[in-house]
Amino acid sequence: MVKSIRIPATIPFPPLLDLWEQQDEKGPDATRIYQFYKNLAEGRFTTTKCKDCGKLLYPPVAVCSECLSENLEWVDIPKVGEVYAFTEVRAGAPLQFQDTVPFIIAIVRFGDYPKNGIQVSGIMFDLSSEEVKIGTKVEWEPLEILGPGEMRRYWYCFKKA
Amino acid sequence: MRNVAIVGAGITKFGVREASWKDLVQEAGKAAFKDVPNLDKKEVDSLIVGAAQPERWAYQTHVAPLVAELLGLRPTRVVARTEVACASGQAAIRYAWLAIATGLSDIAFVIGVEKMTSKNMAISQTSMINVANREFDGPSGMTAPPFFAMVAQRHMHDYGTTREQMAVVREKNSTYGSYNPYAQFTKRFSVDAVINSKVVAPPLCLFDCCGMTDGAAAVVLAAEEIAKKLTDTPVWIIGGTQCVFAADTVNQMGNLSEWPALRRAAKELYNMLGIGPRDIDFAELHDCFTISEIMEYEELGFCEKGEGGKFVEEGRSYIGGDVAVNPSGGLLSFGHPLGATGVRQAWEVFNQFRGSVPKERYVGSNARIAITHNLSGLASLHHIMAYSIEKRKEIKLGG
Repeated sequence: MVKSIRIPATIPFPPLLDLWEQQDEKGPDATRIYQFYKNLAEGRFTTTKCKDCGKLLYPPVAVCSECLSENLEWVDIPKVGEVYAFTEVRAGAPLQFQDTVPFIIAIVRFGDYPKNGIQVSGIMFDLSSEEVKIGTKVEWEPLEILGPGEMRRYWYCFKKA
Repeated sequence: MRNVAIVGAGITKFGVREASWKDLVQEAGKAAFKDVPNLDKKEVDSLIVGAAQPERWAYQTHVAPLVAELLGLRPTRVVARTEVACASGQAAIRYAWLAIATGLSDIAFVIGVEKMTSKNMAISQTSMINVANREFDGPSGMTAPPFFAMVAQRHMHDYGTTREQMAVVREKNSTYGSYNPYAQFTKRFSVDAVINSKVVAPPLCLFDCCGMTDGAAAVVLAAEEIAKKLTDTPVWIIGGTQCVFAADTVNQMGNLSEWPALRRAAKELYNMLGIGPRDIDFAELHDCFTISEIMEYEELGFCEKGEGGKFVEEGRSYIGGDVAVNPSGGLLSFGHPLGATGVRQAWEVFNQFRGSVPKERYVGSNARIAITHNLSGLASLHHIMAYSIEKRKEIKLGG
């Protein structure tokens, strides 16, 4: 009898290979910007601002990249912004978006960018590219990421204001 | 500082290859050693491997020692792997150059390699997201095509660049690529064919994009006194710069239609060499998308900001124009195995200077100075290297 090893028919998808962080508060996959995800779960899109040098920091961080201070505060990102650039992904999408194609990706500017505002990428669902223009007013809204299994994580997307 | 030259080069056929990562290493390695028959490979004292994501696409880490094993090398000075996504190959040459210039190493073997195709290309695409800040732009599906589509949209909006002008880049590069049997795509594409190809992410169509490709390329570098014994046609590395302005997330990028880090890297290179953009005879530029090459003309100073579309439309980046850009066919013809590309460009420069390319894409025997350029990630980091048929009298680093 030839010795053999049987590999299971399916191997669970390693969560860190998907596009979203684990968003854990504790444990080995914990992040020090957990508050960002907690705020998203509560319907707030926020980022960090340095209380020492005043720099608005996006993405949120645990240490100010400008002055290296850890004296940071959470501030809300304005609800409405303007489309700076956009396109529609029609082919070549990553694994997680195979069933979502086509979809719009936009880069939206919130607040007075770059002085006191941010520029953020995000998805716009259920729209054709003809319905969006440079300068279109959009607002962010919460997006739930369900799975794998019972896992529930949080992100944001954009819709027309 | 010592002068450093390329003394030999070899590549694999680029494309969707029925060959593993290790097979590609052996093919390119063999081709490069065959190109330097006077070299005893035991004399290679350094090995640098440019590889962007072997962990994801070949499930292999610690790749430099593995390459040493596959090519029978026993390097004692520098053994390393470089990773800066799309510029991993050029970075490998850069550090091998510095190792030899400073006297640490005498002969370095540089190989760039990537195995990108798989049975499920969506998995390969997913790994491309890791070149941006995966936690923040990854969830938007920000792979290269949509990012560069937005760059193109802004360049059209801000400077009036046209859909046709971008297509001219592919028409030009595919013409040269049609005379390059190592390229993935050797078919010529007219402006109409590009514009009418399948839309990937508007305004970019399929033929505006380079391929995800398998391939490897290798060059042998040597110090001046050794180089002369190994070849009659050494091609000298005369300078190299790189520049990043903290920007891996779109918030840090400012205007998409400008690449100030490339402008800065170019300025530093010209200062280093005491030359200007008009002194460049030919250039292998990072045409991952047609719009990229147009922006690179501008930021390298080949033309004014915003005039890049007109520059190619008027034929000024063709062989015989102001500067011959991508006489190899570029990434658009070769595809872009991330780690291999920068070394593949050096292979092209070496062959152009020694005149071993078909006449249809030969830049001519008057060419003196060439550059290669790679952007990486979402165009946040830029590398440039300068090569010449003439060695420098005095090596100066820094502007």
